[in-house]
Amino acid sequence: MLSATTAAATGKSADLLSYRKINHVVVLGANGAMGLGSGALFTTAVPRVTFLARTKDKADGGLAAAVKMVRSSTVANRVDTGSYDADFDRVVSEADLIFEAVTEQLDLKKEFFDRIDKARRPDSIVATVTSGLSINQLAEGRSDSFRKNFLGLHFFNPPNVIVGTELIAGKETDPKLVDFIDAFCTKRLGRAMVRTADTAGFAGYRVGFKVLNECAILAEEHGPLLIDELVGPYTGRAMTPLATVDLVGWDIHRAIVDNIYELAPDEAHETLKLPQYMADLMAKGVLGRKTGGGFFAKDDAGERIVLDPKTQKYAPKSSLPRPDLDFIDEISNLHRVGRYVDGMRAFAEASGPYAAIAQKVIAGYISYSFHRVGEVTDDISGIDRIMGYGFNWAPPSVLVDTIGLKPTIQMIEKAGLPVPPALANAQEGTTFFDDPQVNVGKFFVAT
Amino acid sequence: MAQVPEVYVLGGYQTDFARNWSKEKKHFVAMMREAVLGALDKTQIEPSEIEVAHTGNFAAELYSKQGHLGAFFLEIDPAFSGLPTSRHEAACASGSIAILAASAEIEAQRYDLACVVGVEQMKTVGAGEGGDFLGTAAWYELEAKGIDFPFPKLFGKLGDEYDKRYGLKDEHLAEISTINYANAKLNPNAQTRTWYMNYDHAMSRDEFNGAVGGRIHISDCSQVTDGAAALLLASPEYAKKWADRVGVPLESIPRVKGWGHATARIRFEDKIAESANAQYVLPHVRSTVTDAQKRAGIADVSGIDAIETHDCFTTSEYMAVDHFGLTAPGESWKAIEEGDIALGGKTPINPSGGLIGAGHPVGATGVRQVLDCHKQVTGEAGDYQVEGAKNAQTLNIGGSGTTSVSFVIGT
Repeated sequence: MLSATTAAATGKSADLLSYRKINHVVVLGANGAMGLGSGALFTTAVPRVTFLARTKDKADGGLAAAVKMVRSSTVANRVDTGSYDADFDRVVSEADLIFEAVTEQLDLKKEFFDRIDKARRPDSIVATVTSGLSINQLAEGRSDSFRKNFLGLHFFNPPNVIVGTELIAGKETDPKLVDFIDAFCTKRLGRAMVRTADTAGFAGYRVGFKVLNECAILAEEHGPLLIDELVGPYTGRAMTPLATVDLVGWDIHRAIVDNIYELAPDEAHETLKLPQYMADLMAKGVLGRKTGGGFFAKDDAGERIVLDPKTQKYAPKSSLPRPDLDFIDEISNLHRVGRYVDGMRAFAEASGPYAAIAQKVIAGYISYSFHRVGEVTDDISGIDRIMGYGFNWAPPSVLVDTIGLKPTIQMIEKAGLPVPPALANAQEGTTFFDDPQVNVGKFFVAT
Repeated sequence: MAQVPEVYVLGGYQTDFARNWSKEKKHFVAMMREAVLGALDKTQIEPSEIEVAHTGNFAAELYSKQGHLGAFFLEIDPAFSGLPTSRHEAACASGSIAILAASAEIEAQRYDLACVVGVEQMKTVGAGEGGDFLGTAAWYELEAKGIDFPFPKLFGKLGDEYDKRYGLKDEHLAEISTINYANAKLNPNAQTRTWYMNYDHAMSRDEFNGAVGGRIHISDCSQVTDGAAALLLASPEYAKKWADRVGVPLESIPRVKGWGHATARIRFEDKIAESANAQYVLPHVRSTVTDAQKRAGIADVSGIDAIETHDCFTTSEYMAVDHFGLTAPGESWKAIEEGDIALGGKTPINPSGGLIGAGHPVGATGVRQVLDCHKQVTGEAGDYQVEGAKNAQTLNIGGSGTTSVSFVIGT
């Protein structure tokens, strides 16, 4: 189904890198966050990068933002800017790589690909930064040479900080081109590459937004504050789940989970259904941080306030009681001194209704990830890589290794979730995480 | 002098220097723990086998309000109960001093297996306060008190002294910075591996590369870093047993072949006054380097395949180039222009990225340097490997060229 994992990382990179040359990249949608961030990244390895947007002013604005993002005026030394109307056909015909980062709408992207198909050289590469639209669907109706040279290259935002990157080949993409892009991104752009199947949300968003949406569902009964504490940093992440949804934007969250819910019904289907209260609030203009607040906000006096999904009203954070969560304090104190195994064993053993909620989400994350092997990636290490390098969450294998195989299985069983065969059939003492470059301790954040 | 037993370097581990342990809300003992357990795991040694432990640390009293760091070793594993421990401090050379102490105990045949850990957690405070803490590595009252970022200014003066004696161009300092950042991109533990850098940026003088002290700009500086590194040092007896156990020939295990250690007066202007008529700008740094080479039985730098030097600023690496003997005094620029110090050059300097690229957790740096030399001479440096390296040398400097330590690590 998928080709073998990163050939680049294992040393044949010099051969692979000689397959194509990338001396000029055109970024479409260079005024958006992903476009300008990716554009800045390309300047580290490519002598000429053209920023295109609807107007030259917008492209110039993208360049200015790119300079600020990486804190170096020298980005501009390698960048020229232009507009779709005045410059599109010319620069696209000159480019070795056309990088599409326009708004995440199928029709709009197809319009662009139509134009690219007409203007590009037959040997140029076309990549889309889509985070979830189907690569095969995007390639439909395009010329032979387009389909052969087209792939998904999903950088995570902001790409100057987050190195995890998904690489998605279409049915007809030249396999040697896929190897080349893998090697180029690994060696020249410092990316941690993960090859995924052309499935909804690919690997990272499929697994990550399942967890985030499940937290949003649980928040309806328990409130966002409690859920973010239960599934907080101590469970293996830098940022709490619902604060992440606020940062990403509720509209983006909705587009991602709706897409997965529709196209990829799986054993955890209901956890991917957007809760009704979010849809109701979105109709009133609540989209998270970009509209001033979502699950969390600040009132006029600057005091932190928290959404009550039941009443759809906000209450001061200080007015919300914290139930007895001693087990979190205990685990957090163990993480603080580097005793992560003791901490996560205590997590698996914790009792009471609140611990059970947290255990169910984490058990669900592990179970869901392992069940996606063979569907979205060839092996668990692909999912581990994107969750670690892309989301900065403890990868599922790290959690299994840290908690221990048997306690992990027991936790999954207790949550009433399916135990993945890879875990059920493993011998005690088996370890799953296989990336020695990663300090696994960094994922277990104290509070 | 009677023959002393050799000190073997079995291996070690460093934490990822890009991590911010304050953001992870962790105590420095977590860092010590990850480094020590990582070193034990890498070398397949049981905690109970360690006979003595040495910690290198500069200023935990200031950064974390905690002294007595040797004792924290016992928080790592129950098997360390009762272990003899100590903590060593010599500013940025603290890690190397800990290695010297551990080596001396092995040479004196007190112990067969020592663990050395260097550790510094620096992101507990803001840049200004941290800069002030670092000022205590100089003569604080005379050189640092009330001065913003005293150290860039002191090493700016080192550049000024080179300029006065021989001439110095910004272009050569920018090249040093560029090489260190480029090497860091090859090092999976380097702090700056994802940062945006190129020669033009190092030469730029706008708001993104402001001056921090005289000729020193941001791109000339090493980093504020949280990190720890651990090493296992052994006597020939233990090394032999270990070699049999892991199935490698004893001869393949790197040794501390030579060391140098010298101190100059703490105040920068006193050092410079002392060297006014000397061949080298910092004569005690020079003697540290040559002492280590002599003790290793190596005639000069041509016998060294790779160098991990103390580039706390580009000017300190510029100084190291001629002090190592890669060029005549004052001609460091020649080695830079010839490409000698770049990876793939005649004598690569800081293949790891050094303090500028890999990061500078003060008390851990000397240990990290020896660990990187160990990786080089065992062929385990991955993408930043210097092909065929047999002997690698460190230079670790505390203060403004005050306490210098150098090790030659080789097989």
